[in-house]
Order: sequence, then C-alpha cells, then structure tokens
Amino acid sequence: MQHVAQLNPRHEQATTAVEVRGLGHVYAGRDGAVPALSNIDLTVPAGRFVVIVGPSGCGKTSLLMMLAGLRTATSGTILCEGRPIATPDPSRVGVVFQEASLFPWLTAVENVEFPLVLKQAPRDERRARAEAMLNLVGLAGFGGRYPHELSGGMKQRVSIARGLVQDPPVLLMDEPFAALDEQTRMTMGHELLRIWEQTSKTVVFITHSLTEAVYLADEVIVMSARPGRILDRVPIDLPRPRTYQMMATDVFGALRERIWHQIRDVQ
Amino acid sequence: MNRPSPRTVRRLIGLLLLVAWEAVPRLGLLPELFVPPLSKTLTVLWLDRAIYGSALMVTLYEVAIAMLIACGAGILFGAVVGGVATLRHLMLPVFSSLYAVPIVILYPIFTAWFGIGSESKIAFAGVYGFFPVMLSTAAGIRTIDEQYLLAARSMGATLPQLIARVIIPASIPTVLAGLRLGGALTIIGVVVSEMLTSASGIGYLVTMNRTILDSPRVFAAIIVVLALSVMFDLIVRAIERRTLVWQTAGRRTASPEPVTPARLATV
Repeated sequence: MQHVAQLNPRHEQATTAVEVRGLGHVYAGRDGAVPALSNIDLTVPAGRFVVIVGPSGCGKTSLLMMLAGLRTATSGTILCEGRPIATPDPSRVGVVFQEASLFPWLTAVENVEFPLVLKQAPRDERRARAEAMLNLVGLAGFGGRYPHELSGGMKQRVSIARGLVQDPPVLLMDEPFAALDEQTRMTMGHELLRIWEQTSKTVVFITHSLTEAVYLADEVIVMSARPGRILDRVPIDLPRPRTYQMMATDVFGALRERIWHQIRDVQ
Repeated sequence: MNRPSPRTVRRLIGLLLLVAWEAVPRLGLLPELFVPPLSKTLTVLWLDRAIYGSALMVTLYEVAIAMLIACGAGILFGAVVGGVATLRHLMLPVFSSLYAVPIVILYPIFTAWFGIGSESKIAFAGVYGFFPVMLSTAAGIRTIDEQYLLAARSMGATLPQLIARVIIPASIPTVLAGLRLGGALTIIGVVVSEMLTSASGIGYLVTMNRTILDSPRVFAAIIVVLALSVMFDLIVRAIERRTLVWQTAGRRTASPEPVTPARLATV
C-alpha cells in the first residue's frame, strides 16, 4: 500500500473543507419559478463523512451539482477550501455518480486517467497514477477491462478511483451504490470506509438508504421535500471502524428511527 | 449428434442455391431466358471481362465519389443538426419526411441538370445516400447519455474536449450504422441511375442486354453488382470490428480467466 502515501492525507482536521451559506436554488418550471432549495447552511470540516438523505425531489442532487460546480446557485455562496466553486474543479472536488457514468469505449485504467488526460498530463505519469488508484480500490490487474466486462460493484470502484485520481480534498458521491444489489452494496460501503480512512478525504454522500447513511456517516443531514431545507443534523457517534454487527444494535436502530421520523413526517 | 453451426448451415444453403441455379434451367424447369445456367453466365462474364471490367471501373468511380459526398455532407449536417437544439427542431422533421420521398422520381431532373454522364449518377446517388447518414448522425449525437456529458464536465472538460473525447466516441456506433445504410443506398443509387439513363457502367450493361434478351449477360452484370455490395459490406464490417472493440471485447472467449477466490473477493 505504498501508493497511499501519494495521496497526501490531510490531517488538519480543524479546517473547513466545504462551507455553504444561505444557498438557494430556483429553476424555471412549466408553471413559472419552482424553488428547489432554500436557505441551506452547511459546514463540513475536513476529513468528515457527511451523508445527505431526504425524500425524492428534495433537491439533494441539485445541492450536489452546485457543490460540484455543475450548476449555478440562485442565491448564497459555496466555498471549498476557502475559495468559491464557480466551475467544476476536479483538483478540489471529485465526483462519483450513480452507475453507468464510466465511458464504455475506454478501459478501466483509461477511464480512471481521463481527468488527467483532460489536463494533458504526461502519459507515463497519468498511467502510473491511474494504476495506483485502481490498486487502492482493490482492482489491481483489472485495468485492461472494458466497463461491460466488470460487475456493478467493480464499475463503482472504478468510478471512485476516477474521482480520486487528482487527489481532491473533497469527494462528492451521488447515490453511488443505488443500482447495486444489497450484498454488493454492503461490501461497497465497507470498502468505501476503508478507502476514506486510508486517504482522509472529506466525503459528501447522497443516498436513499437510511441504513447506509447511518453506517457510513459522521453526520447525517436530513432534508425536507421541495423546497429542500435542512430539517435535522444527526451526529452519528458510533465508534470506528464500523462493523456490520453495529447494524443490529439499539443505538443504530434509534438513529435510523430518528431520521426516518423526520422524512416520514414531511411526506 | 451435435447440431451444425449456423455458419455451416448458411454455407450449405448458399451452395444449394448455386447448384439449383445450374440445375433448374438445365433440367428445363425454367426457360433459359428467365434463368440462364450459372456456368453459362460465368462463361460470358469471363469472355466479356474487358467490357465488364471497364463498366465496373465507371461504376466504382461514381460510387466512390457519391459515397464521399453522402458521408461527408451527411456527417457534417447530421452533427450540426443533432448538436444544435434550435436547428434540430427546425430541420429534423423536414429531413425525416424527405427521407421517405422516393428520390428516384427526381432522377430525370438530375439528368437535365448534370447530363447523362457520371455527374448525374454521382449527384443522384450522393443525395440518395445522404439522408440515412445525416439522420443517424443526428440521432447518434442527440441520444448521447446525458450522464457521460455530466461526468466529463465534472472532470473539467472544455467544450472542444467534450466533443473530441465524449461526443464523437459515444456517437460512433450510430454513425457507423448510418454509413452502412447510406453506403448501400449509394451503390443502389448509382446502379439504378445507370439503368435508367446512361451509356456506361454496370447498370447500363443490365439494361442494354435486357433489351436484346441476352439473359446470361444480364445475370453476369447482376453478379458483378452483387460482388460489389458484398465487398462493401465486408469493408464496413472490418471497420466496425476495428472501431468498436470496446463493445465486443472479452465476449468471444467463454471464460477469459479462471475465477480464483481472490478475484471473487473483489465483488
């Protein structure tokens, strides 16, 4: 695992990785302006694992798109590492989407090095870096496979490697395991925690699964239905490393229950 | 006991057809005016090889230029119409309707404009092959998975990079399907227009020999056209195999590698 050293773990836990102030988003719908998000305040300290949950259409994805610089907020500010995010910046924010965002015409290693190709990094350097990332996500030796030759879980490992290849301090994940079967999903959650602990990234993770949320998070942000607001911030003080056995504990159940109440009440 | 492979069956059917072609007229089941025996047809093809050869050169030349026009203009127009939303809404319905028009009724106009030489065939076949190429290029660009574009933008792709590295590779399969159809229509266009009005080319040989009831020579010309179409198909297939490696890689071999427990562990 000597490759991990290249990832420059950031130990300055006190600094703020992502700072969202008074964020609002209004989009033009068929019957005029539709407010999607209103007055979102969010502070994510460096190295934290934050999970956002909420009912469908609560603007979780809108929020993530704005954090990624893919959509412009109507009001409010987003700071990442102290600077605004106006356009996508993969050296500060890596994004992992739902399945099927890998390019099918590129092999796994070519997919991972794609952001470096865009930056016109030298071939040897980017190939070495991509191989190291594949190694990190447990896919050493699979670099030459095309996406259709990989299982759903392996594809998402490649996506994570691609999100990490430029060593961004922040990793955004938009329901990355939603399309996987339950067992693969559990394994992938566990793997993600391993990668997160090895790399000390700040992770903002969106999911529909409350179990996944409690299992992964330091803090769960509960959002309301449209217009999306933050209803609750639930600190998850389960010890780390997390284990599957924790899911059966009363503490785990109580946390999940608390989140479920909030979501159910607004529906 | 094992079943013959589809390929063997195909070859057998082909062989049977050739045998029938020889036997049916020889046995007097059909008059030789309708179907001359294969051997007789091949004999006149060999005897008149100089005539057929020079006619083929004329046809090939017309097909080559017409294909260049159809594919070049088709891809260019298709890319612009498929890529620009306003143009697409304005023009795509028009082009789709035009595709349904039997363009061969316009051929007399082409002869009036370009004469009865090669120019009118090239122009006609070029227009004939243009539509499928243009429509499928437009469709290929329009139907690119939004997720690919989003992922590429999140990795910091600029517009030129988006076009070169995502839009073009993603639309290649559809464009190739259009080129295949467009190319075939170009061959048809050239041969049909040669049959209608001309003094050279394979199509002319068909019409000319038909009017003097020389069936073997008509069928000899048909064999040449068949060979031309098959050649074209083989070339397109070779191109497809080469450019679409990523769609088929690893699918031929039943089990590429033994599955070891270590491999299974990586989900």
